[in-house]
Amino acid sequence: MDWSYYNDLFGNGWNIEKMKKLFLFTPLILVIMITVFCLVFLLQGKDPSKPPSALLYKNLPEFNMIGLFDDSDVISNKDLNGNIMLINFFASWCAPCKAEHPLFFEIKKNYPNILLIGINYKDKQEEAINYLNTMGNPYDYVGVDNKGIIGLELGVFGLPETFIVNSKGIIMYKHLGPLTKKIITNEVTPFIQ
Amino acid sequence: MISLIGFIGLILSFVCNVIVIGLYYFKINQRFNQIFYLVLYCSLFFICLSFFALMFAYISSDFSNFNVFQNSHSSKPLLYKITGTWGNHEGSMLLWLLIMSLYNVFFSFNTTLKEPMQKLTIVFQSFLYLCFSLFVILTSNPFLVNSIDINEGLGLNPILQDPALAIHPPILYTGYVGFSLILSLALAGLILNKLDNLWIHALKRWAMFCWLMLTGGIALGSYWAYYELGWGGWWFWDPVENISLMPWIAGLALVHSLMITQQEQLLKRWIVFLSILCFSLSILGTFLVRSGILTSVHSFATDSSRGIFILILFLVITGFSFILFILKSPQSNKQLNLLFINKTSALVINNIVMLIACITVLLGTIYPIIVEVLTNQRISVGAPYYNSTVLPILLPGFLIMSIAPVLSWQSNKLVKVKNYIYILIVTSILAVLITYLTKFNIWGFIGTILGLWIIAASLLSIVHNYLKYKLKKFFIYNNALIAHIGVGIMIMGITFSSIFQIQNNFTIQTNETINSGQYSLQLNNLQITEKNNFQELLGIFLLYKKNELLTTIKSGKRYYYVSKMITTEAGIYHDWFQDFYLVLGDEKNNKWSITIYHNPLVSFIWIGVIIMIFSGMVGILKK
Amino acid sequence: MKLHLSSNKLVLIILYILIFLFSTIALSDAVIDDKVKKITSNLRCMTCQNQTIYDSDADFSKNIKQIVRQKIIDNQSEKEIINFLVTRYGEYIVFKPQFNRRNIFLWIFPFLIFALSFVFFIFRLKKNTT
Repeated sequence: MDWSYYNDLFGNGWNIEKMKKLFLFTPLILVIMITVFCLVFLLQGKDPSKPPSALLYKNLPEFNMIGLFDDSDVISNKDLNGNIMLINFFASWCAPCKAEHPLFFEIKKNYPNILLIGINYKDKQEEAINYLNTMGNPYDYVGVDNKGIIGLELGVFGLPETFIVNSKGIIMYKHLGPLTKKIITNEVTPFIQ
Repeated sequence: MISLIGFIGLILSFVCNVIVIGLYYFKINQRFNQIFYLVLYCSLFFICLSFFALMFAYISSDFSNFNVFQNSHSSKPLLYKITGTWGNHEGSMLLWLLIMSLYNVFFSFNTTLKEPMQKLTIVFQSFLYLCFSLFVILTSNPFLVNSIDINEGLGLNPILQDPALAIHPPILYTGYVGFSLILSLALAGLILNKLDNLWIHALKRWAMFCWLMLTGGIALGSYWAYYELGWGGWWFWDPVENISLMPWIAGLALVHSLMITQQEQLLKRWIVFLSILCFSLSILGTFLVRSGILTSVHSFATDSSRGIFILILFLVITGFSFILFILKSPQSNKQLNLLFINKTSALVINNIVMLIACITVLLGTIYPIIVEVLTNQRISVGAPYYNSTVLPILLPGFLIMSIAPVLSWQSNKLVKVKNYIYILIVTSILAVLITYLTKFNIWGFIGTILGLWIIAASLLSIVHNYLKYKLKKFFIYNNALIAHIGVGIMIMGITFSSIFQIQNNFTIQTNETINSGQYSLQLNNLQITEKNNFQELLGIFLLYKKNELLTTIKSGKRYYYVSKMITTEAGIYHDWFQDFYLVLGDEKNNKWSITIYHNPLVSFIWIGVIIMIFSGMVGILKK
Repeated sequence: MKLHLSSNKLVLIILYILIFLFSTIALSDAVIDDKVKKITSNLRCMTCQNQTIYDSDADFSKNIKQIVRQKIIDNQSEKEIINFLVTRYGEYIVFKPQFNRRNIFLWIFPFLIFALSFVFFIFRLKKNTT
């Protein structure tokens, strides 16, 4: 190997100077880049405790579930295709679910064309029925997922969670935590109109 | 009332620092010198007033103060009321300000630096103080007052009510925040274009001190995590741990680089760069943890407006420093005398390895943010990534460390090379034996051989020194070697406790004994005690070795009344060569499930760090 | 040669078979536990603050541990189990960043600059000696 050729390349002339200049500017450039990325992240209002859903823009996974009020009623996602769906995971033991519950009546009133589906997650049938009798039942269908199998397919890990599925069966939006009027106006309504 | 005093103190310290800067530039009158220092001492007085006002509010459980209300409770033990002062976001920022001011004043007592370098450093430090006190006053004011009368506080997270964790922030900050003075020195040196030996000397002492305190702070945090968090682990590559590690790595590179210029050629530009880098990483780290942008075990109260403020501070302070660096960094015409292998090369290798490790940790910590901004998907970068990247990168550094202190600056000859080769062969055989007798694992082998080699080679060097100099100036000649022995011991501890850890799960009932090898464990009884702010269920275990009682180990659970949290308290028996780590689980049918971890050589980790800190302190004092 | 088994030998053979069966069952349990530990130590507890599923006692973690355990018993490979969870929870649930196009920079960069600085260092050494 001819070291002298490489010596010349690295040893003198503009190459060393340019490399030194590059090194001098690198820290500053990195500082600016890091600041920009972090600023964008913060301004986008992302919440570190709420990761984006892995199922966005994917097909709604297949599931079959038994109706809450009627054991013989089996609902599968095939039956529901063709409609815009709002799927809400809830349970009688979940306090934030109580907070968002009344808002579903409004959604149903303002957007009667969408299908409002409630999935009762890891709950007891009696208590869920009581819950809905007391708080009212805004859902078009209520299904049971007492082992959390359907929740697992959808990546549910903490209640309440709400999904919006378009008429082609693709998940367009997911929200972690209770809905509020503001979130409904800003984030949910664009999908259900 | 006390909140008002505290707030006034905070504002006045701000004003004093403004005056200090103004005095430097306008040089008002003849007695400028005296007034300058007087105002500086006043600023320290006022921030002390402010800090101790907050502490007083905590001690007296003054719940009219919003911060005390949020974070304290009258039933908390006095010690934790005191340490609760800095156990929250606003209070810890006040501690940050206090430490910055203390550094400024203690630096002013320094007589080695001539004017105007001394004053300009103080001015820069004051400027940094202004930035952060603006942050506190505008977004993190600990002196907000409740508008209604409140009798009781919300309590403090029980996990924070712990002696090691109580003292961890002050010590950590003494290092972490102390790098601000290093930055000030660097900026003053750049502006005045006077990076002479006096400047190097001052930088060397302060940098070593900050870095040692940071080492202690990180070690305390790890030790706390070890006994408190209940899984026998002490480093998780959690974002907040990474954030303290990055300035530590940069500090290590800086401290070593400062040795070069004292002896040999000049790497001044590199030293200035590292000096700026340390505090830049501190600011970035503070931003990452306090803005809530990353999920971490160690989360503070998060708020994106605070985050944006610190981010702007980061941009301004770091941007300004690096621009100054580009414009005014010293040109050096001399080339480094790099030989394979002389001391200069060893130090260059150390710098390269450390910097790459630092960049890798930074990349891993920030990568999820970049990915989420660009693709709206979230990924995790956790321990597996860092273990696969940082550890291999550090290997050359560890290898070189063993002989670096005795290398020559000028020539690439190693005195008495043959002895080192013999020692290398012996330690290799020893390492193979150990690995063969315990459990074969490639990392176990690498860690063992590295640790042993570093210790053995350093001991050999000490022996050579002894033969040459006897005990004359023992610590001056052997300080670095002793420090490296500490690192070797630490590496042994880390290797053995992670790779050769044994975990066993058992169920046990009262008076039952479990046997495992030469040891047996008996559950003696369970006791329930009521303390001031918690109720504790403790399992009392007796550990026997060869049927002789070794010790009692207590492990249990605590239920804290105010926060309604349950914590698990592990029971640990520390032995020089292993730890027995006992965690009491749940009860079923009168049988308790317990997990016993057998952690070999854990104490070596703490012993190694203590040796490192000790020899570092000697390094500062020996001048 | 005729195989002649005395009753003693028969007992011994049956004993060996039983011991073998028991040891594989007993071994399996420990082996399964190890595998669960290995896989769940790489998974994030989604409801905790930066803890692994193995270390966490949260309901979510217990649930996932059961699922992983069942899949190991069903002889699924680690890769399959991880993929199963990633499809549903996203890459966020795995602590080791996966080797895909998006993460390539993350994995390659440290080694790249390490290699580059190594090369550069060697060149400077050579230059010094000439």
